Amino acid sequence: MDDTRPLPRPRSQAGPGQTAVAGDAPGPASGPASGQTRPVRFRGGGFQPVPVRGAAIVVFVVLIALLEIGTRTGAISNLTMPRPSAVVETLWSLAASGRLWQHLAPSLMRLAVGASLGAVTGIAVGTAIGLFSYARAGLVPLISALFPIPKIALLPLFVIWFGIGESSKYALIAFGTFTPTVVATFGAVDSVDRQLIRMGQSFGLSWWSIVRKIVLPGAFPGILSGLRVSIAIAIILLVAAEMLGAQYGIGSYILEAGSLYDLERLFAGVTILSLLGLIVGWLIGLVERRFLTWRS
Amino acid sequence: MQNFIPTRRAAMALILAGTALTGATGQAVAQDITLGALRLTSHSPTYIALERGYFEDEGLNVELAFFESSAAMAVGVAGGDLDYGVTSISGGLMNLAQKGAVKVIGGALAEDPDVQGHVILASNAAFEDGVTEPAQLAGRSFGVTTAGSSFHYMLSRIAEGEGFDIADVQMKPLQKVGAIIGALSSGQVDGWAIQPSIGKRLVEEGAAHKIGDLSDYAPDYQVTAVFTSTGTAEGEREQTEAFLRALSHGVADYNAAFVDGTADEAEVTELTEIVHQYVSTDVDDARFAKDMAEGSMRINEGLSLSTSSLQSQLDWMQDEGLVSGDITLEMLVDPSYVETN
Repeated sequence: MDDTRPLPRPRSQAGPGQTAVAGDAPGPASGPASGQTRPVRFRGGGFQPVPVRGAAIVVFVVLIALLEIGTRTGAISNLTMPRPSAVVETLWSLAASGRLWQHLAPSLMRLAVGASLGAVTGIAVGTAIGLFSYARAGLVPLISALFPIPKIALLPLFVIWFGIGESSKYALIAFGTFTPTVVATFGAVDSVDRQLIRMGQSFGLSWWSIVRKIVLPGAFPGILSGLRVSIAIAIILLVAAEMLGAQYGIGSYILEAGSLYDLERLFAGVTILSLLGLIVGWLIGLVERRFLTWRS
Repeated sequence: MQNFIPTRRAAMALILAGTALTGATGQAVAQDITLGALRLTSHSPTYIALERGYFEDEGLNVELAFFESSAAMAVGVAGGDLDYGVTSISGGLMNLAQKGAVKVIGGALAEDPDVQGHVILASNAAFEDGVTEPAQLAGRSFGVTTAGSSFHYMLSRIAEGEGFDIADVQMKPLQKVGAIIGALSSGQVDGWAIQPSIGKRLVEEGAAHKIGDLSDYAPDYQVTAVFTSTGTAEGEREQTEAFLRALSHGVADYNAAFVDGTADEAEVTELTEIVHQYVSTDVDDARFAKDMAEGSMRINEGLSLSTSSLQSQLDWMQDEGLVSGDITLEMLVDPSYVETN
């Protein structure tokens, strides 16, 4: 950041070549004017995040340790936060009793069916919007109108349409993942390099060939990062979907714990959702590495 | 205020002054209390006591805070936003009591064999399919708000009374009473048990069939209780006693008018109007008066508490693994305020 400032800063950067220039006001431009050459550090490196191994783990460990100490000493009341070790115990007994799977299996099913329905139709519609002017003109306002609707508010409606069985849960999750996927997909299609498309056209490639070989691969990174958001939304909606008529499921487990004011179970459930989010993020990362190696 | 300049510093001063003020009133002698309420007829005594000035007579300045569900109200009391609440006895309340946050100080709504209590309903489709008695609920679906709610408990009483395993019933958690009504009317759940004011209306509208009375299975069921934070129960005895006296006065009026029928017509009309200001405001007067007259359950005189019913509810929740086995009746109840049995 400091490098972008036009004035040299003698105190911090008093290199041998710079001290002489320090008196002249306008900085770098004055260098050649005074007839001197001076070494200039390469400044155009951009912001390059360096991978720091273990930092995330340290943050987690410190936070959890603080909570554990706080709840054990009573500095944090057991009404406000559960003891992390008690949450782990709850998770463990949930897994040991086999009830974890009883709750996890239906939830994973709902997530898989709902999210893939929403994502597949979302990618299809988004690509159509990206490629066809009529689809864009007709559908973009509709998508913009649908996006901000809180899907939870439509839950009663879904119950009338699909009943309180599994289909209303699939529909809610699918609808919730559909709109962000559409927006991400047509955004990704739009941002495909126009030069490449023109090049394809001037080489006489067919329309389908351009779509298949240039547009879709070019849009893929954008679609994948859109999916990260969409699937996170699907996990959020899982809890809402399981509000109605679900006897088993991570969402219903969390809701039950909430109504029982059982913080250990509540946090155990929330932890499972977080882990689910981490796993999905990791899976998408794998897909990115597998299919997007051509980028580098 | 004309030359008030909205600077950051002024805003800070305002916020500080505000906190100072609220802090001061909290310590003043005037007894401002916040009372949690649900917009249900079972909360009529609260509205009656408020509108007729019974709280004022006891030197209490009551402000009502309305809630959607009893679970949220229990948390409100535990968090210190509410001074008193009246709500169904639930697993949430018991878990909060275990954490030393709340205490039950009195009983309210209760089953009474002589008064129409909770009715057991079957959806039209299930009724035609042969669910004409509670015993046939085995193998069917049953609407509840959440696991550990009063509906879940009622189902367990029916199952025990009829000798079927509660695991044979598919429990459908639907979070809200309104959602259960919708699901029952459209035949998506087969059975339900609900307070008579709602149950009778559903039967009369042809949305469901009555197949039994809960009082046959849980004759002394204590449905709702009066509770407060442990700090208030232990440290504010005078205020709490005054509050219970005022509310009991409202209960006496309510029972006389709607349950025992000992009040005259003018009194009944007046009380109905008071309650209607708060409950079911979208229902027309005649319909509401009929619901009140026919569908009101008894609220314990003097807010007495059935600790035996509380104990059986606690035992059941512990058997079901809904609450910790360490919870005792002593953690849950402060019996020093009202008569217990």
